[in-house]
Amino acid sequence: MDLTSIDTLSALFLHALGYWWIMIPAVLIGIVMGAIPGFAAHNTIIILLPLTLAFDVETALVFMTALYCASHLGGGIPAILLNIPGTGGAAATTLDGYAMTKKGEAAKALMLCFVASVIGGLLSAVVTLFALPVLAKAGYYIHSVEMVVIMLFGLALIAAIAADDMLKGLIAGGFGLLLGSMGADHIYAAPRGTFGFLELFDGVPLVPALVGLFAVSEAIVMIEQRFVVTDGSTNKTVSWGETLRNFAFAISRWWQITWTSLLGLLIGILPGAGASIAAFVAYQQSRLYSKNPELYGKGHPDGVVAPEAANNGVTTGTMVPLLAIGVPGGSTAAVMMIVLQYHGFPFGPRLFVESPMLAYGVIVAMAVSYILMLFMIFPMARYMSRVTVVPTNYLVPIIVAFSLVGAFVPRGFIFDMGIAFAFGILGYIARKTGYHVAAILIGIILGPLIERSFMLAMRISNNDPMVMFSSNIGNVLWVCLILTLAVPPLIERRRKRAAAASGATAG
Amino acid sequence: MDGDSKERVRLVDLIIPVSAVVYAIYYVVSVRDFPFQAQITGLLLGSLLGLLCTVFFIRFVWQARRSGIRIGWIDLIGEPSIGLKRLIFAGLILLSISAVPWGGFTLTTFVFLVASFHLLGVRPLTRVLVTAATAAIAGWLFFIVLLGARFPRGPFELLMSYWI
Repeated sequence: MDLTSIDTLSALFLHALGYWWIMIPAVLIGIVMGAIPGFAAHNTIIILLPLTLAFDVETALVFMTALYCASHLGGGIPAILLNIPGTGGAAATTLDGYAMTKKGEAAKALMLCFVASVIGGLLSAVVTLFALPVLAKAGYYIHSVEMVVIMLFGLALIAAIAADDMLKGLIAGGFGLLLGSMGADHIYAAPRGTFGFLELFDGVPLVPALVGLFAVSEAIVMIEQRFVVTDGSTNKTVSWGETLRNFAFAISRWWQITWTSLLGLLIGILPGAGASIAAFVAYQQSRLYSKNPELYGKGHPDGVVAPEAANNGVTTGTMVPLLAIGVPGGSTAAVMMIVLQYHGFPFGPRLFVESPMLAYGVIVAMAVSYILMLFMIFPMARYMSRVTVVPTNYLVPIIVAFSLVGAFVPRGFIFDMGIAFAFGILGYIARKTGYHVAAILIGIILGPLIERSFMLAMRISNNDPMVMFSSNIGNVLWVCLILTLAVPPLIERRRKRAAAASGATAG
Repeated sequence: MDGDSKERVRLVDLIIPVSAVVYAIYYVVSVRDFPFQAQITGLLLGSLLGLLCTVFFIRFVWQARRSGIRIGWIDLIGEPSIGLKRLIFAGLILLSISAVPWGGFTLTTFVFLVASFHLLGVRPLTRVLVTAATAAIAGWLFFIVLLGARFPRGPFELLMSYWI
């Protein structure tokens, strides 16, 4: 199939657009499910598997990809409005999104989230379409050593968000890492730090931890407030004019959206990496290269744009290994593989040979879903911010009741609701005593992933620690990581010196 | 006076580091008989956390000697009226989780919502009951009927299973 021909591209686009009737409900379901903690795309797709198996293969794939993309967008909505991320990928969005809501800028934050998600997703879909063969090779060059360094980039965010009290931030991150290392070890399957609970042998389940640290703890904090926003600022329904101005403002962050979504795409390609890592790394990198890093965490627009664009850049990235080499890059891609298998379609390179319209069609369908999403979500940005004016005495019990369902659903254990409660109390104490819950969550998410890659690298090298510096790509990444950590304090020092010098001159 | 008390270090700030150290010790003890590769993560992270917390404790003692110490209970729980509500609310969450295996999702959610709405000051009782019933039934329809979440079935679900 010649992708340089306009005829081919327009045929693909129109073909995908013909599935609008299935994309619209899929997008709506995806947004709703993404906004409920615990109901990630793969859970929803698994629940709806009997329905998708009843469709023909193309309709089923379009339905699943549209739902998957929309769920990544939906996760940012409660993260911004209630400080409760719907998905792990939206956890970084809470840092500045909720701060904007607190300042009465919920509608603006939502628009930034929607535009960053849509453009980020759209852009990464287009790049994937043209660069699929090249992108597919990236997976071959990234091994356990490189994965360790990439995840350390995400971990470096702990230091960044802990700027107010570095020691407290590092303790929170370290505690999260240790909690994340709970469960059977990767080589001998020996249970570590599980308190004897069988339910913890697989480690701390991420969704109950997320629900507890963010939803339950936030709800308990909210009790003292009459409304979500308390400092006199209000999140009224904005006018259409204001909505358009917010849209234009979001579009003006196009460069930020572009590079963070491409970063998300690259991370999404790597098997085992996912939206959470991409969002944290993008936030950390965005803060690093910002002219105003001190504004991050206080309601900076780029603090919403970066994680959301990266989070949605991941969506097409996870499809690359499935389409190019037949290995699912994530849980949603794994479900899609089942559907392809059920219908007797090959996956990997053979899919492009035998059914090119289907193979490329999946990526184009993602792009079309994002375009449809923009038109569907645009009017919602006006009204969604009204959630923050619902009195907390109604909101708090409902948040707890329904988010605990989210904690239960992934594994079906009542025990997981107890974990959510325990993490809720931990999160509440952390919030009230100045420890960042996001730092704990970063540790819990990245801890087991780093450990797995680290142990794998050590195992392959017969426990030689120098393996960490044995690859060229890895070494380049190490240098970048060291620069990431060392440059900001140096710049800050220079700024302070310059400010002091100019102050002395003025005096 | 108030200004002075704000400067004093709070004992409640120690909850997280102390919990972290206790868990780190437990973690290291729990892996003591395992092969080295199963111990290495615990030893590395436990040492790191131990070091960070030691620095924190030294800083805490140093600040406490300079400016005094206070418990900070109000900062943690809130003013007595709010604090009591918080504790009861946390108790209600725990109770509802414990009751799910017997009460099922819908009934437990309904009772939890009624109790929580009432605790948080929603009045009159009719509004409490109607809102709680609407939310619980909406949750049942969405999560159980539509999405098929495998919650333990309680009296309400069993009753409805005869009709649906």
